[in-house]
Amino acid sequence: MHEFLAQLVNGISLGGIYALIAIGYTMVYGIVELINFAHGDVYTLGSFFSLAILTALGATGELHGSVLVIDVALSLVGAAVCCGLIGVLIERLAYRRLRNAPRLAPLITAIGVSFILENVMQAWKGSAPLPFPDVLPNPTFALGPVSVSMQQLVVVALALVAMVSLQIFVSRSKTGKAMRAVAQDRQAALLMGIDVNRTIAITFLIAGVLAGIGGFVSGVYYQSTWFLNGFGAGLKAFTAAVLGGIGNLPGAMLGGFSIGIIESFATWKLGGQWSNVTVFAILVIVLIVRPSGLLGRRTQEKV
Amino acid sequence: MARGAGQSRMAMHLSRKFRALAALLCAASVAACSHSTSAPGAGASPAPAVIKIGIDLPLSGADASVGRSTLNGMLLAIAQANAKGLPGKFKLETMQLDDAVQGVHSPEQGVSNVKTMIADPSVLAMLGPYNSNVASAEIPVTNGAGLAQISPSAVSDGLTLGADAATLRRDNPAQNAFFRVCTTDSRQGSAAAAFALKFGWKKAYIIDDDETYGLDLANVFEHDFAAKGGTILGHDHIAKNTQDFKSLLTKIAATKPDLIFFGGTTSTGAGLIRQQMFDTGLGKVAFMGGDGIPDIATVAGPRADGTYYTLAAPNAQKLPSAQAFIKAYEAAYHKPIGPYSANAYAAAQVATVAIEHAIVAAKDAMPTRAQVLAQVAKTTDVRTPIGPISFDANGDVRQPVLSLYTIKNGKPVFLDQINLK
Repeated sequence: MHEFLAQLVNGISLGGIYALIAIGYTMVYGIVELINFAHGDVYTLGSFFSLAILTALGATGELHGSVLVIDVALSLVGAAVCCGLIGVLIERLAYRRLRNAPRLAPLITAIGVSFILENVMQAWKGSAPLPFPDVLPNPTFALGPVSVSMQQLVVVALALVAMVSLQIFVSRSKTGKAMRAVAQDRQAALLMGIDVNRTIAITFLIAGVLAGIGGFVSGVYYQSTWFLNGFGAGLKAFTAAVLGGIGNLPGAMLGGFSIGIIESFATWKLGGQWSNVTVFAILVIVLIVRPSGLLGRRTQEKV
Repeated sequence: MARGAGQSRMAMHLSRKFRALAALLCAASVAACSHSTSAPGAGASPAPAVIKIGIDLPLSGADASVGRSTLNGMLLAIAQANAKGLPGKFKLETMQLDDAVQGVHSPEQGVSNVKTMIADPSVLAMLGPYNSNVASAEIPVTNGAGLAQISPSAVSDGLTLGADAATLRRDNPAQNAFFRVCTTDSRQGSAAAAFALKFGWKKAYIIDDDETYGLDLANVFEHDFAAKGGTILGHDHIAKNTQDFKSLLTKIAATKPDLIFFGGTTSTGAGLIRQQMFDTGLGKVAFMGGDGIPDIATVAGPRADGTYYTLAAPNAQKLPSAQAFIKAYEAAYHKPIGPYSANAYAAAQVATVAIEHAIVAAKDAMPTRAQVLAQVAKTTDVRTPIGPISFDANGDVRQPVLSLYTIKNGKPVFLDQINLK
């Protein structure tokens, strides 16, 4: 029982990171029907930005008090803002001109952008895995029979806060309404006076910000980063988005947490080499039974 | 997923093109070869004739830190041979190729590098590769071409021993072209098991990366550790490019091991596993591996302390025969030697000595690859920093010495060494 709970906590933490990335896939797909394969690399870029900011601030080991709060906040916000801007830039430079091109063109472009980002990161920090400073004090808390570490709490808390505020933003704000309108029918939204370009740019901005937060979180959680991390994590997060029903926000969160937990339990019960097999086997089964994903409905509302 | 399929399709397409190109190159090289053997006969050409030694190592990416120090050892030996002068006024040059693709050693790239070397008729021997899975892809190619290949560090048993080695030599079963100056995985696994029990670690959990090298090492460790009275709590394999080992380590923590043994390299998981051991309550448990993890501190940082590893080489710092080499290395590169620099130097020495003998045997004319290969196979007591080297019929060294190190304050500290005969 104790081990079951410990593995559950591991799975939820891992799932939190997947969920943060999965939201980016699902939002972009919902609004422009593009699978943005570069998104996983924006996430890795987030951990690179956090690492660069922490290094510039001179943070190499565990921090305390106000220094901790300031450094962590700067690193987190810096990574989120930079990744958001990168997301907007990618959309402006690579995808906007292809918006009315056949669907394969932007898809291939996305793969190309992914390679460009990977190679930029390789040129920037080299191709070896990088140690990430262990800035967060890491006491463990006893939650009943299971101990939860500070890092795990931070991962899950940040993921939940980001997702809930995003959900509120999309369902309540005027921009959120515009996003939903563009997702439903771009032409009609344009006719109603909605600035489609701006709305799509904001979508990429939000996706980038969440990826940046995910990058920071993964750096803190694993104390390491690597320029190719985004490939594997991006693939899993994309799977999470499909599992939950691509285009559906709560679906992406559910998918992310499910995949984290499945992976963790598969490693525990079947061994590490079977974790990926299990995840994708379950994806296949779910898609056979429910082709539109767990929460995907055949409605036209996609964001 | 879409991307994976696209890549493999592209690779298939390329390989078809590549085969056509390789066929052309082969034809060209036969022509060039007959030309160059007649060239030294002309005698009084002012520029010295050049013999090339191919070098294939991972020179970028996660393995670059060990790859570079290995390369330096080879270059030093070749520079010294040139300075001393070769018979027939030949000059040695190198063809250095990198087998890392996107930061990780790649068997496919290794094979492509070896084909590049074979296409150049002045390449008479090659040094490398660093990694066993790369070696196992390259051996059929060098064997088919009869190009002598000497690795400083590829330790997997199947490269020289048993049915696996016979499969690798399928194109030319009568001839062995692969040699190594290091010892084998089985000896490394045995040595690690012996050291572990000596330290009083009775219960071990084993993880490996499912690659040629890591799996062999882990299996031999498992067999020997259990045979000598240790308890194996479990044995897990990990998937490529995994970042999260916390689930696996949580499971291992519940078995309360004295030791976690890892078969693999820093880049395939050792660094992240060691780091995440601290997050799963295993920080005080010993972590041990083979010669794939001396650079673990580059990933695990301060958490690398408490890692133990074997090297399939004697401790060069302790050998009197190595002192001159260490001095020359530090003078040339202003850095301490790397874990396989001495082996690399020894491998290059074996190659240069064989080339010198082959030149003499060919009466100062350009020797053929077959002549050089014959001389490498005959290597007897070449005096190197890691002791005198002689090869047996399989291409393995006759007197293997292994050593054990630990990491303290981020630096390797020598603990012990044994001679397995």
